[in-house]
This record gives sequence, C-alpha cells and structure tokens, in this order.
Amino acid sequence: MAELTYLQAISDALRTEMRRDKRVFLIGEDVGVYGGAFKVSLGFQEEFGPWRVIDAPLAETAIIGACTGASMMGLRPVAEMQFADFVSCAWDQLVTVAAKQRWRVGTPVPIVVRLPSGGGFSGGPFHSQNPESSFAHVPGLKCVCPATPEDAKGLLISAIEDPSPVLYFEHKHLYRRIKGEVPEERYTVPIGKARTHRLGKDISVITWGAMVYTADEAAQQLENDGVSVEVIDLRSVMPWDKAAVLDSVRKTSKVLVLHEDTRTGGFGAEIAATIAEEAFEELDAPVKRVAAPDTPVPFSPPLEKAFIPQVEDVVAGLRDLAGY
Amino acid sequence: MAVAREAEPVGSLHEVREAGLDREDLLGVYRNMVITRGVEERGHILYRQGKIPGSFYTGRGNEAAAVGVATAMGPDDVGAPLHRDMGVHITRGVQPWHIFAQYMGRQDGPTHGRDGNVHMAESSLGLIAMVSHLPAMLPVAIGAGLAFRIREEARVALAWFGEGASARGDTHEGMTFAGTRELPVVFVCDNNQWAYSTPTHLEYATEHVADRAQAYGFEGVVVDGTDVLAVYREAKRAIEKARAGGGPTLLECLTLRMEGHAVHDDAFYVPKVMFEKWAESDPIERFRTWLRANVDMTDEEEDEITTGVKKLLNDALQRAEQSPMPDPADLLHGVYASAEDLDTPHHK
Amino acid sequence: MATETAVDVVMPQMGVSVSEGTVTKWLKREGEQIEADEPLLEISTDKVDTEVPSPASGTVVQILVQEGETVDVGTKLAQIGGSAGTAPAPAPAPEPEAAPTPTPVAEAPAPAPAAAPEPVAEPSGNGKFVSPVVARIASEHGIDPNQIPGTGRGGRVTKQDILAFVESGPAPAAPQAPAAAEAPKAPPAPTAPAPAPQTGEQVEPVSAMRRGIAEHMRRSLDTAAHVTSAIEVDMSKIVAARAALKKEFQSAYGVNPTYLAFVARAATDTLKDYPYVNGELRGDSIVTRNYVNLGIAVELADGKGLIVPVIRNAEGLNLLGVARGIADLASRARDKKLLPDDVQGGTFTITNPGGYGTFHGTPVINQPQSAILGTYALVKRPWVVTDEDGNDAIAIKPIMNITLTYDHRLVDGAYAGRFLRDLRERLENWEGDGT
Repeated sequence: MAELTYLQAISDALRTEMRRDKRVFLIGEDVGVYGGAFKVSLGFQEEFGPWRVIDAPLAETAIIGACTGASMMGLRPVAEMQFADFVSCAWDQLVTVAAKQRWRVGTPVPIVVRLPSGGGFSGGPFHSQNPESSFAHVPGLKCVCPATPEDAKGLLISAIEDPSPVLYFEHKHLYRRIKGEVPEERYTVPIGKARTHRLGKDISVITWGAMVYTADEAAQQLENDGVSVEVIDLRSVMPWDKAAVLDSVRKTSKVLVLHEDTRTGGFGAEIAATIAEEAFEELDAPVKRVAAPDTPVPFSPPLEKAFIPQVEDVVAGLRDLAGY
Repeated sequence: MAVAREAEPVGSLHEVREAGLDREDLLGVYRNMVITRGVEERGHILYRQGKIPGSFYTGRGNEAAAVGVATAMGPDDVGAPLHRDMGVHITRGVQPWHIFAQYMGRQDGPTHGRDGNVHMAESSLGLIAMVSHLPAMLPVAIGAGLAFRIREEARVALAWFGEGASARGDTHEGMTFAGTRELPVVFVCDNNQWAYSTPTHLEYATEHVADRAQAYGFEGVVVDGTDVLAVYREAKRAIEKARAGGGPTLLECLTLRMEGHAVHDDAFYVPKVMFEKWAESDPIERFRTWLRANVDMTDEEEDEITTGVKKLLNDALQRAEQSPMPDPADLLHGVYASAEDLDTPHHK
Repeated sequence: MATETAVDVVMPQMGVSVSEGTVTKWLKREGEQIEADEPLLEISTDKVDTEVPSPASGTVVQILVQEGETVDVGTKLAQIGGSAGTAPAPAPAPEPEAAPTPTPVAEAPAPAPAAAPEPVAEPSGNGKFVSPVVARIASEHGIDPNQIPGTGRGGRVTKQDILAFVESGPAPAAPQAPAAAEAPKAPPAPTAPAPAPQTGEQVEPVSAMRRGIAEHMRRSLDTAAHVTSAIEVDMSKIVAARAALKKEFQSAYGVNPTYLAFVARAATDTLKDYPYVNGELRGDSIVTRNYVNLGIAVELADGKGLIVPVIRNAEGLNLLGVARGIADLASRARDKKLLPDDVQGGTFTITNPGGYGTFHGTPVINQPQSAILGTYALVKRPWVVTDEDGNDAIAIKPIMNITLTYDHRLVDGAYAGRFLRDLRERLENWEGDGT
C-alpha cells in the first residue's frame, strides 16, 4: 500500500485501466500535453499517445457526444470536463442521448464523465458547483462521489467497467488535501454501496464527498459532549444505498443529512423523504438537513464560507438533534 | 456566393458503372425507393385509422437522398439517420414489419414500444437511433468515426442533420472536432427547405449549408437530392475519401419536404408553386424514367417490383398487427445497462 | 385483410397535442359496403382536416357519431362488421337520459355515517409530543408513554427514555388486550404533516362524513357564483292555516304541519315557473326539469354532520304529503336508516337554520344544483300594514325571513328576485291546497 493523494489515486485508477484495457481512452480540454487543468493525466500522452489521450476543442457537446458514439462502437471513453460546472454545456448529450439510449433502443453507453466539482477555494459561481442531484434525477445515469483516495481509485475503475453512463464527481478540494493508503493492485469499489466512515449510536449523519470530513470533525466535537455520531459516506448518489441509510436510522433514530450542494431539491431531500416514508416509526426527531443556501456559489472568502456548510453548522445541527 | 461544389446530375450509364453500380444494383435501388415510399404511405393510412399513437413523420421527397447515400455505405460503416431517412433503414436491411410494429407501439418494434416513429435503429445493421433533439446525433456519429480512427479501422461514420438543425451548436462543435481531427465522417445534410414552417433564409445566411464546410477545413458539396444516382456518386466519393484518411465531407442533398412537418401539419406556408415545381422531379418517377431510358427496365420488371413491394408491405403489416402491445410490467427493465448488454460484436 | 369480426373505427389523433376531432362528413351510410383503406369519413381538428380510411373491409354496421359532433381522440366512431354484412340489432339508443348526479354530501355518509367506535383510551398524552419511534415502542410493550419521565425538549419522552423504562421498569401488562395495544399506534392522518397539538388542544379524527362535507362545501364554493337574496314574508295566513290543520294532521296522520312544510309546498309550486332555479349547469348545457326533487337539510345529533335527504317528485305532493315526507326523512336521517336512494337526485334544497332563532344566513349550494332556499325564525315584528283605503298602520305580524342563495352563473338576480316575490305571494295569500 502506498500513501496517495486523492488526485494521485484518480490518476492511478485511470492509468491502471488504460494499461490494462486498450479500449479505454481519455478525452477532454487540455488533458494531453498539459496533463489536464488539475494534472490528473500528467504524462499520460507520452505513455498512451495522442489518440488515447485526446486534446479536444473547447466543445463539451462534441466531447460527450463523441464519447457516446465511440462507446457504441465498443470503446470505453473517459471524458474530463475541465470543471463540473461546464457539463451544463453537454446536458443534452448526457440527458437526452446517453441516459436514455439503453432503455429506449437497447444500446448501452458505457462512458465515464469525470467532473471536478465542489468549492472552498474562491472558484466563484462557475468553478465550484456540485450538480450531482440534477443528474441523479435523470433515469439512466449513475452518479458517484468518492471521498477518500481508496474509494477514488476503486470507484473510478468500477465506473469504467460499468455498462451504463457514470458521472464521476471528484471533489477539487480533496485533490491534494486528502491523503490515504491506496492498494497498489487493481480493485473495485461497488457503485451504490455506502461506507460507514465513523461508527456511532446516537445520531446519523448521511453525507458524501468533501462533506464527509466536515461531518467527521463535527462528530468529534459532539463526542466530547458525550454524544456518539455515526457518519455514513454514501459514495454513490445514484443508485444510493438506501439499506445502509435505513439501517443507521434504525440504530440512532435521529438523522442529519449534509451536503455541499444547495438545499432545495438537493439530493438530501430525496434521502429525507425516503427516511420519512420507510422509517417513520424509527424516528425520535425530525430529519434535519444541513446544506448550502439556495444561491449561486459566491466568490469572496467570507461569502463562500457562509455558503459552504461549515463544521460549526453541522455541530449546531447535531446539538439541536441531541437535545431534542 | 456559393463556396461549395455544385455537383452535376448523372447522365450516362457509363458514369454509373464507373461509380460501381450494375444493372441489378440499379433495380435494387429503385426497389428500395419504392419500399421506402410504400412504408410511409402505409404509415399514413395506419395513422388515420388510429392505429399509430402520437404523431407521425415521413420523408416524402427524400427517398433518393436517403437511399442514394445508404447505397454508397460499406457494410461495416455506420450512420445515424433521421426521420426523413426511412430509405436508409430500408437500404440497410431493416425489415418493414419491424418498422410497422415500431409505428404502432408494438412489442416487436426495435424499441418495443418505448419510443415511436423513426426513433429506432437496428444496431446490428450499423444504425444508431436518433433522438428528437436535432442534431444531437451528429456528435454521436462523430464519436463512431473517432472510434474507427483510434482503432485505425477502414470504416466511415455518417452523420445526418437537417438544414434547420444546422443552426444548432452541436453542428458547429461536431464539425469543428471532425475537421480538426480529420475524422472519417461524412456529414449529410437533408436540406428539404423547411424546418417545420421556417424557410431556409431564416436558418442560414449562406447560399448553401455546404458552404460552411470550407470554414471547418473540409469540402462541401451540394447535390440535387431527387437525383438518386448523383447522390450515390457524391456520397460514394465522400465515403471513400474518408475511408482513405482524407477527412470529412459535408454533402448537402437539396430536396423539398413534400408533406407537412408531421401528419397534423398541412404545410399551408409552403408556396403552391414550390410544391408543383418539385413534384415534377419526384425522385421515384425520375429514376423510373431514367431506368426505362438507360437500362431498358421492362414492363415486367417494373411490375414485378411494384407487385412484390405491395405484397411485402401487406405481409409486413399483417405480421406487425399480430405483434402484441408491450407489457407494462417490463417498464422498469433496462434503465441501466447490464453486462449482458455489452455482449455484442462491437464490445468484444 | 378483413374482418370476420367487427372492427371499430376510432377518432384518430391528428398530432401530439390534438385531443379531439369533429366528424364533418360521413362518406358511407350504415349498411353500405366499404373496402379497407377506402375513405369512410372526413374529420376536422384544430390542426388539420383529413379523410379517415376504413380500417377494414365489410359493412358499415353502425355509425355512432353524427356529422357535426366533436368527440375525444380514441372515441369509437363507427363499426365495420363482418364481410357478410350481418347487421346486428339496431343501434342502442345513444345514451339513457343522464341519471341525476348524486349529491356527494349526502352520498358519502348515507350508508353508515361515521359509526366509528369511540376510542376508549385517552387521546394520547397530556399535551406532550410522542415521537414516532416512541409511539411504536410504547405500543409494542403496551406502555403509556405519559407514565415515563421525559428528558427531551420540554419534557418529551425520548427513545432512550422509553428504552430505559422498558429495561428497568415494571413488567409490562400481559398482552391481554391486543386491541388496546394497537390503539396508540394509529399514526396521524397521512395527508399533511399536522403540527403537534399545543397545550389545551384536543384532537379527534375527521370522520368520513365530515371529510365528505368539507370537500363538498369547498367544491361548491369553488364551482358556483354564490349570491344570496332575502325577503321578509308575513306568515299570518300560514300561522292561521297551521293552527287549523295541526290537530287534524296529528291525530289523523301523526305528522306535524311545520312551517317548513308550508314553505316547501309553496316553493315547489313556485319552481314550476322558474325552471333555472330548479335547474343545473352541466358542462356546456343547461338542464331543466319537469319535476322537483326536494332536498331537505337535516342536522344530525351533536353537530356530527348534515345530510340532505330528498323528497322525490315533490311537485305531486300536497301539504300533507310534503309534511309526511319531511318527517319521515328527518327521523330516518337521525336514526341512520336512510337508503342510498334517499339522498340522491335532488334538484333543489331547503335548509332551515331558523329553529334556533337565526334570522339570516347564506347557505352553500348543494352541487350540482343551482339554488338553496333558507328559512329562518318566525318572529313577531311591528309591521306596517296598509288598509284598503290606503291608510298605514302598525300591526304585530309573524314575519319570516327567507333567503335564496343561487348560482349566478345560471340564475340572474332579477330572476331570483321574481322567484322570491312569487314565493312570498304564495305564502302570504295561502288558501290551502286541497289537503
């Protein structure tokens, strides 16, 4: 096992698959010579050549459309959006074509779209978003949001293997900040399975992506108050691990759903609604959500801090539930 | 001022033989055009009998353009034809009874009732199913061309779009990408002059859509889309050029949409003289006359084709009507692909 | 390709957004032969006009939609029979005349009005909120959560509290009374997340009848343009007539000739001249009748609801008949012995809130009727009377206020005013009706 950053784990997964399987190729803006805006594919073009590490024109529709067509011809494309925000330019290709093709006409579209997402570094309204709930709402797409280096590698390999289109949300704030042990060999992490990040018995926090770490810090503070908090890292937002969430709810009877995306219509709403429907008689308090307010992502640091859920916000939510 | 090359009509039999079609092939092309029109005429009747749900679109007037291009495709080439391109499905070998079943939302249509109209394709025949958002399939077809380029296969992808859809960004992005990478792609513009009710001068400001090709770094050609042999010759040239590594071509087939946008539309906005003028160059009648004059198509041969097609379609319709309606219990199946779905020749 | 069995011709959908079409012309008549795909009729839609080809060969057995009629897409237009042309029995009459629409208010409760068993247990809690999980654990162990000291917010019993109680507390009562154990489990009404009850509030479930009334009342106000007009009626002659008849009615027939019966009788007569007041706005049509099915609003005991049984063909009844009808329906309503038919098909309703002294009101119309008559307390009032010489004087008169609440969509104000005027004249000049 080597200690890798989250970003290195993503590179490692991609390199592993491209070495193993000639069908896999990477396409995106500046992914070749430059190595990608975040250097995920640094050195890839030297190793795999310009037709497997393809510098595309600034044309997200063409990139994802081309991936769809290439996948129908038997390849396993991985597209990189330079920022997750720019996937809106290719909405039609994902939502209208790729998502529906299998159900509609029986043609599988095994593509992966890598989406550097999330804020915390003054990226402003167009370089900081977390659009996973928009795509989770589209039947036919899968959405994964790894939080740890180990999951980053295992989930990317699973995504490339998967016969459906998979949106792989890689959180930019974790790229170099988070390090962890990552097995050197090839392995997969199943899509749709949650992970218990922290065991607890009094309150459950359901979250994913960078918020796993926010939740963990908050949980530590509650620990000092004698309240034991469980943190469930969903890892996949669609399909999501309903069973793991409900099991945790049955244990603690109090739930806080936490995400970095905005509140209304965020995926936490679906989780809260499911808990209310399927575990109503397990609840000892209302399901609580902590999420970003319903605004675009602000640029200036104090504004961005007020936007992204902070450890204090989660602590306050947990204390409220503890005292209920 | 036109930039694109304006293709000449096909004259002699010699020229046709040069392009690779013998007499047998020519009669086959004619037959495919007759089937194409027959399927759509039958569809009209089915629609008015209340047997086709939703709406209904045809490509009357586009038979030569569709059949001509498809005839020029190689067996391993692929394409994403549109709702005016029934002739492509027919030429590639899609069975009419599957098409009727598709029209009527039956279980045996290529989409098993999940989608309607010409939103279908049999992928084993090298076809990719269109969506309504035109020209969203254009980047997808380019992706097929990209796959051929990556694997260094001598295959070509055909990307259809209309002159209306030429206004959308997908066209620009797709042509930019295909041009920069010289991908083995042929862009086929079905220019039938009306995007629903919008005329061409409100869709593009050049003389021809194909004039734009130069800006993307490849050749543009305009051809009379009612002249099946000219369409075939130009498509063949473009396809073989792409196959040889010469990059894309934009082939614009000029026709008139001889019916409304869909069955509910009586196309009152199309000047009557326009219909009259284009009716004179009806693609099927035009080719029939040519066949009689140039390859001595006999009464018997012509009759055999007409009668044979009629029987083919009658049988097809009967079979399609016996196809059951889809089972709602299957609705949830296949939202996500399974590993077995990948068990196709493409994915080996 | 045709057709031993009959084949239906349906209105095709000429475009995704098209929902109906008009038959403009039949090209074949019933009994004629037609070939498959031969034009059978012409239709017109908002988008296009077209011919409809026959789906089969055979005889046009039946044409169901006439020229000029507009029908929904998918509606059967005609039937093409077997090629033998075996014409079946003549087409059935188009539609039996529309059955009177049932009145929902009455409909819901009539068979068994909310005879829910009274809950034996106290409504849960003395004001403390019981969370779903605590309610479940309490019910599983047969515990009253109110006996447990709560450590949650505001003294609420938390899950930990009840689990600790279960572990350490007295053995729970043997499950001798499973019914009681089930009782507290009942979750709140699923429709809307009602806020928890506050201190001092009591909560009871909404009965089926109450829900029916609530929906009907709301729907009526959303449907009709309610306007109320009132008149004052000098009931002197009615008072006299009633006094004269009362004994006879009671001794001979066992019924009380109530003022309501007189008003009902006079109103029924008046309705003959005002068919819209007894009518109905039904879709694009106005329906009037040559009969009066008179609804009488009856209050059930303890404010538990209201029901409107119907006296059928009231126009054929004299005062005795009306009085009997009212008495019969009222007693059966209160005894919950009404039959479903008793509460359906009303064309006009009378409500009588005057029993408690009310002198004015604005009742809600019983849909789909057009009007409701309100009768109010009969009170002695100083009244200006004018003698034959034109001299005014003040007299003491028994006066009743009567309101007509009508649907202004169908009934105009002047029309309603004339109805009330005629009704008043009938009552003020009462001369008996041959009882």
